[in-house]
Amino acid sequence: MQFNKVTDNVVAELRALLGDANVLLDEEKIEMYAKDEVSDKLWEKMPEVVVKPANAQQVSEVVKLANRELIPITPRGAGSGLAAGAVPLQGGIVLSLEKMGQILDVDTENLFMVCEPGVTTGDVQKTAKEHGLLYAGDPCSADSSFIGGNVATNAGGNKAVKYGVTSRHIYGLEIVMPDGEIVTFGGKNVKDVTGYDIVHLMVGSEGTLGIVTKVWLKLMPLPKYVADLLIPFADMQTAIKVVPKIMTAGIIPTCLEFMDSLSIKSAEMYLNKKLPYGDAGAYIICEVDGTSETQVQDDYETIGKLALENGALEVFVADNMSTQERIWKARKCYAEAIRMISPVYCMEDIVVPVSNIPKAIEAIERIAAKYECKIPSAGHAGDGNIHCTIMREDRDDHAWHELKHAVLDELYEAVYDLGGNLSGEHGIGAKRAQAMDKHMTDAQRKVLVTIKKALDPNGIMNPGKVLVG
Amino acid sequence: MSLYVNANIEKEQKLSQYKGVLVFGEQKDGKILTVTYELLTRGRKLADELGCELSCVLLGEEIDGLEEVVKRGADKVFFIKDAILKNFLPRPYSKAITKLCEELKPEVIVAAATTTGRTVMPLVAAMLETGLTADCTELTIDPDTRLLLQTRPAIGGNIMATIKTPDHRPQMATVRPKSAKPAAFNAARTGEVIVKEFDGATFFTPEKFLEYIKDTTQEVSIEEADIIVAGGKGMKNADGFKMVEELARILGAGVGATRDAVEFGWTTYPHQIGLSGKTVAPKLYFAFGLSGKIQHLAGMQTSEVVVAVNKDPEAQIFKVADFGIVGDVFEVVPMMIEAFKNLKANA
Amino acid sequence: MNIVVLVKQVPGTDNVKMDPVTGVMIRSGKDTIINPLDENALAEAIRIKNSQENVKVTAVSMGPDSAMKAIKEAIAMGADGGVLISGRAFAGSDTIATGKAIAAAIRKVGDVDLILCGERATDGETGQTGAMIAYYLGIPVETYVSAVEVKENGVIVKRTVEGGFERVEIPFPVMATVNKDINEPGFPTLKGKLKAKETVVPVYGPVELGLDPAELGLKGSPTRVVKVFSPKLSRDTIMKKADGTTGPVEEMMKFLAGKEAI
Repeated sequence: MQFNKVTDNVVAELRALLGDANVLLDEEKIEMYAKDEVSDKLWEKMPEVVVKPANAQQVSEVVKLANRELIPITPRGAGSGLAAGAVPLQGGIVLSLEKMGQILDVDTENLFMVCEPGVTTGDVQKTAKEHGLLYAGDPCSADSSFIGGNVATNAGGNKAVKYGVTSRHIYGLEIVMPDGEIVTFGGKNVKDVTGYDIVHLMVGSEGTLGIVTKVWLKLMPLPKYVADLLIPFADMQTAIKVVPKIMTAGIIPTCLEFMDSLSIKSAEMYLNKKLPYGDAGAYIICEVDGTSETQVQDDYETIGKLALENGALEVFVADNMSTQERIWKARKCYAEAIRMISPVYCMEDIVVPVSNIPKAIEAIERIAAKYECKIPSAGHAGDGNIHCTIMREDRDDHAWHELKHAVLDELYEAVYDLGGNLSGEHGIGAKRAQAMDKHMTDAQRKVLVTIKKALDPNGIMNPGKVLVG
Repeated sequence: MSLYVNANIEKEQKLSQYKGVLVFGEQKDGKILTVTYELLTRGRKLADELGCELSCVLLGEEIDGLEEVVKRGADKVFFIKDAILKNFLPRPYSKAITKLCEELKPEVIVAAATTTGRTVMPLVAAMLETGLTADCTELTIDPDTRLLLQTRPAIGGNIMATIKTPDHRPQMATVRPKSAKPAAFNAARTGEVIVKEFDGATFFTPEKFLEYIKDTTQEVSIEEADIIVAGGKGMKNADGFKMVEELARILGAGVGATRDAVEFGWTTYPHQIGLSGKTVAPKLYFAFGLSGKIQHLAGMQTSEVVVAVNKDPEAQIFKVADFGIVGDVFEVVPMMIEAFKNLKANA
Repeated sequence: MNIVVLVKQVPGTDNVKMDPVTGVMIRSGKDTIINPLDENALAEAIRIKNSQENVKVTAVSMGPDSAMKAIKEAIAMGADGGVLISGRAFAGSDTIATGKAIAAAIRKVGDVDLILCGERATDGETGQTGAMIAYYLGIPVETYVSAVEVKENGVIVKRTVEGGFERVEIPFPVMATVNKDINEPGFPTLKGKLKAKETVVPVYGPVELGLDPAELGLKGSPTRVVKVFSPKLSRDTIMKKADGTTGPVEEMMKFLAGKEAI
């Protein structure tokens, strides 16, 4: 695809549309828009201009302009993505949604929240909670990630085991399409099969089919009682073999997470704190919730006993804020803890059928041993979603790229052999587009390309993401 | 009815026996600590409002410069002298002070909310069967009732509560160190220094003081620092907090932190400023990425000049700031670091 | 060896709201936790229990019926049993009245060698009750304790004080109030939770404790709250908005130079 550069005339037009303060050109200021949370320099690219529209109308005007001038446009939320999805690979315009951060309505009768894309997920959760309600989407980055980004990547997170990923909580979207038209699909109706399910086509499309400017979020009653179990095991295999057993014990946990020994050690270093059984081979962290205290107690007792019968070293129970916070601090600091040890790393997001998790972990350990590198794993055991992170440590550029390619090739092969897939929740972005292309059938590719071409004939919307260039 | 009136008269007679303000001064290694002079500022104001004498009690084996306590505002200085009082031990200290209070019958006792004051005062209050209000930020006299009004943060610091002790004497309070300026030296002031020696039974204790170990892990003790650079939750992570440390290094300043920042492990407890940490009053205080919960403010609001950076224009920290910048700490603080680097290079 | 740990139930959030009209604290009964420093005290007691034979740990709490939760949590973390002090007569107790009641309950537990509690609670933050209890029990108190070394007939404690540490040796019985440097608080175990469910915790009122109601609650409290109000803080703040330029920082530098602060 041949794109045009951002000219002085285009800048002038953008300034007229948005005001000078919302059109950034200085290298210093636009630097932070050149990357997301992917730590590799490979996935950094400076935008030509960054714009910060304040409403859907302004987004629409910018998109119309970009479409007319054939300038690539990269929508951006909080920049907390892990797949280089918000990196302007072709330069052009980065359209940041940071100014559109209003919660517009909390409808406690119909259990909905309406908000703009630039609200942080944490604020959505907090606001819902203040109304005695739950927004069940809960990516680990909730404090910083935007709800718009959650929609774009169909973010998963801790509670997906019970409540499902972001798409399950989205009932309507206002979207600026690649031609600049503003269109709304869905809304406050719980059931809606009027026409194609465009809402769920857009969720997870990573900004390649349009820009979300308003979101209708599903809220639900806040579970009154929550309990978390922290279960240390002597080794990873024993731990991970318990996962399918828990999942088939007749209880749907809210979360079922794991950390391997390297992740536990990293968390201890990062938090500067001793964790219980910090030298364990693995942790399982399991959360149950419900409206009855005795039910929640019964559930965690059942799961805890099952774990003890299957080799758990101990079962710790946290059923109040302070103990729960201590457990989750360890789990949620995973990414930052890893970064502290190896500033450059490659975090993967593979997903396999739950029953195949032990084999996937075996494969990761085998690959790490073969290439003599560190690949700590942690993640969402309950839905087969494993974050394994290849650490660069002190390798030089060449060695690092060799290592990454070799490990990823072998890892993805293993994942596909196990009936799994490339990404559970982080998305494809630019980072995995090649790999996805390699593993897609021709027939699959044809469907995706046809949709993309139909909606974005000029290919200006986030080019190079999901589908290769 | 008459019984009730009698009881009231009796109560008033009992209460009216108590006169004067007493402050509990502190020493270390025989040197009077500055906090003593801060208490004299507080105590002098209360004594003047009540129109009564201000006394100061100090305990120790030998103490230098007791005259200075007079020159800085005390009418009487009681030095309770005994070898066991060389170092602080809760039991002999509390018994000796109680004994003095039984003789002196002060209306008001004020101590510092140091580890010493906060330990000894509850014991004294229990022995004297009276009330004690800890960590007061303000002490005033109610002109109508002559009662001591003790104001302190309460309920997690979201509100202030004013507390009184209507029917018991003395009325006791501790105040945060550094929350008042040390009383000025006035060579012309006169007063009395009285050395008190009590019998051995007063000082009997099973406690044995072994040693004092200076904490060398803190290079610049934040309580002594002229400049403090402090960060809170808004610094986002340990890496972000490093900016706080960098600016502190450039300025030769102390590093301060909120309870959150300490709990996240970005720095250690000795750096914690606030109700559950240290109270500081530097010449210049930088507050970065901290909203200014009252617990934190309680530890720093007497700083001379406060500069705050926070992205929330409504953040409470701006209310105690002299210069506030609304913006992202990750944008503004690096600019400050540059500016101070340049300033230093050009100096 | 007998250890008593005092566990206070406190609101689990520091964002407790006030009713603007009545000035009464709004807190939901559900979001309660053990006072964090009391958790450290408990962890220290459990550590001592695990390091030697024949140590019994009893958790004592004073509060409404719901404070039973704190005791059960302490048992789940490893305490052997507990005592709850509860009753309407205790409502409104200040630190003196609380100190008397808790001292009476500890006397009832009997033969206690070591009492541990947090140096202060996150709700009241007075940090007075520990010392007052020690006084009413007629035993010494050591405060701000960041390490406890158990000897044959007593302990050596390390106290964190201004600028350093003190070490004090003291025979049993003794009360020690701990700070957060002493340890990492633990977690309850599943076995502990099951045990806590089974454990019968006695509830003592003024009668069981042999206390005169006149000494308790509001009646037994010398202090009175006169008023509560929102803190007013203000300085004449110069406010600037970050605009991406170094302008605001330059103005700050000028301001600081003018104030001779730098």
